[in-house]
Amino acid sequence: MLKVENLHVSVDDKEILRGVDLSVGQGEFHVVMGPNGSGKSTLALTLAGHPRYKVTKGTLLFDGESILNLGPDERARKGILLAFQVPPEVEGVKIIEFLQQVLVELKGIDPAEAYDAIVKKAGELWFKEDDLHRYVNVGFSGGERKRLELLQALLIEPKLLILDEPDSGVDVDSLSIISRKIEELNRAGTAVLLITHYGRILEHLDPGTFRVHVMKDGRIVMERGGEFVNEIEERGFQAIFEECGCDE
Amino acid sequence: MSETITLADAKAVIENQIEELARRNKEPEWMTKIRYRALEAFERAPHNDPVISEEQLLHFIAKPEVEGIPEHIESLEDLPAELKALLDRLGIEEVEQKYVAGLAVQTDTGVIYNQFLQEWAKKGLTVLPTEEAVRRYPDLVKEHFLRLFRVDESKLTAYHTAVWNGGIFLHVKEGLKVPFPLHLFFLIQESALAQAPHIIIIAEPNTEFHLIEGCTAPILVRHSLHLDMTEAYFGENAKGQLTVLQNWPEYVHTRPMTRAKIGKNARFINTTVGLGTGKSNTANPKYWVDENGYVELNGILLGQKDWYVDLGGEMYLQGPGASGINASKAVIMDESTVITRGIITAEAPRTKGHISCDALLLSDKSRMETYPGLVSKVDDAELSHEAAIGKIREEELFYLMSRGLSEEKATQLIVKGFLEPMLKDIPMEFLVEIRKIIELAVSGGM
Repeated sequence: MLKVENLHVSVDDKEILRGVDLSVGQGEFHVVMGPNGSGKSTLALTLAGHPRYKVTKGTLLFDGESILNLGPDERARKGILLAFQVPPEVEGVKIIEFLQQVLVELKGIDPAEAYDAIVKKAGELWFKEDDLHRYVNVGFSGGERKRLELLQALLIEPKLLILDEPDSGVDVDSLSIISRKIEELNRAGTAVLLITHYGRILEHLDPGTFRVHVMKDGRIVMERGGEFVNEIEERGFQAIFEECGCDE
Repeated sequence: MSETITLADAKAVIENQIEELARRNKEPEWMTKIRYRALEAFERAPHNDPVISEEQLLHFIAKPEVEGIPEHIESLEDLPAELKALLDRLGIEEVEQKYVAGLAVQTDTGVIYNQFLQEWAKKGLTVLPTEEAVRRYPDLVKEHFLRLFRVDESKLTAYHTAVWNGGIFLHVKEGLKVPFPLHLFFLIQESALAQAPHIIIIAEPNTEFHLIEGCTAPILVRHSLHLDMTEAYFGENAKGQLTVLQNWPEYVHTRPMTRAKIGKNARFINTTVGLGTGKSNTANPKYWVDENGYVELNGILLGQKDWYVDLGGEMYLQGPGASGINASKAVIMDESTVITRGIITAEAPRTKGHISCDALLLSDKSRMETYPGLVSKVDDAELSHEAAIGKIREEELFYLMSRGLSEEKATQLIVKGFLEPMLKDIPMEFLVEIRKIIELAVSGGM
């Protein structure tokens, strides 16, 4: 479904990704790990079509077609959804109105139907109906922001859900609900590309159900099975890179 | 402008209009005298408009560009189809049926009421065309007409005073709380007259009201200059709101003049929603606030095309504990210029004032200037100001677009969200229309 080949990406003329290769099939679960500055968020933002991230080389295929020239809105309509690491505050825009508009545009359902669906799913992520009349992310805690991102994923049901550190800045309780909802979406058929520093969010998952990709200096240098997460947790990236000879 | 018009030419035109108005209104002599006094003042009064030169002003007076469809209108049924459609869109008729709101449509010569307003008249709510109030309540009008302005302050105040016509006289009797917003629409039909409505608001002690002036489309006659004057008087503990919705056509220069005296413990919330501000719109409302009184001036300004908008606002906090807020939010696109310059003067102990100005620039050629003024004549006043001028943040736009909204839809959402906090006191039926106008403007500007 998603095929990334030799992807080079620059931001403000500085090259960050230097030849990323990655394939994600329908309904698969992939984890991207790596130290700070290795290019994980750049990969996520590039896939979603951020205008400041310029692809200088390589291919980016989704369902067999190049999406390089598509804007972020067109990519979303094809079924790609990015859950942001730090979702921005949108002053004056109520969550309910925003989500209704998104569902009307993306799924073609009417606003009343959208409203009911939003309230129902919101409850599953601990949002009360009142909360939905707050402005998007304004004054939200880390946990609330991440749960709102997950709520959008549950409602949109994308083909590919990219999660950029859904576990950072999140309290323990939020982390567990977020992790369960990611699993739920995946079981329902959504392919997941999850970017993280830590293995904690993967604790509930059967290591046999996902693959781990390790990023370093703008490339994916290793691909392993799910159990590799424990090894990274125990030994750290530095030791692993030394051993594999990826460190030159 | 092909021919030169002298001051004498303009004076002659004004004099003719005074005579015509005196005759048409069967005006008492004292009012006609005020008009003639203004005519004299017009000659010597200074002219200091930032956009309209004196030569242009004389031209507007003597050779107004007029075209229109004058027609006699007595009831809502006689309104032109487009205005009726507008009222329908605003949900006015629906609201009326539910008996929750008052609606009066002001024409050159009368006010069209609904049944509901007539019921409230018995309780002490008077809504009349100012001309009729002059005949029916001469003492009250004399006491409140041109008390907050000096006729010779400028050529515009003098001209307005000489030829004023139309406008509303709103009187709320002591203790009366009007639980629904009063909607007023101006309909200007007579092409030969200057557009200079005069509005008088008298809120006696312990009253409450919300007056909404919708100038959203009802201009049946093309004119280059619109000069309205509002004088508002708030008795002790009176609470009033005046919401003005402006949607002027782009050829008109508008010069709204508003002033209010706010009594002890009284509250006045004055909101201007300038969606279509016209070719140019400059206003410098003034408020005098007594002990523990409160005034709020909210300006929502949408600058489009090459429009020039200049919103001032002077607040004089004269009684101990008086407070004032001057807040504006401007969305500026195309080659439009918006300027805000509020001044708050603290003249009594424990007074508080705050000026805030936020602007969202949607194009490279749009322009915003803000000049907050804080003057303290006492040592324990709290005065502050803040301003934020910027463009739409890329991260916000990307976030909304990554949810499948087009750039246009995402921009509309951000712009509406930016203005949202200012629209808190505006009734739902207007909000729908206001949001629609904003969406259209944003789409047009992209």
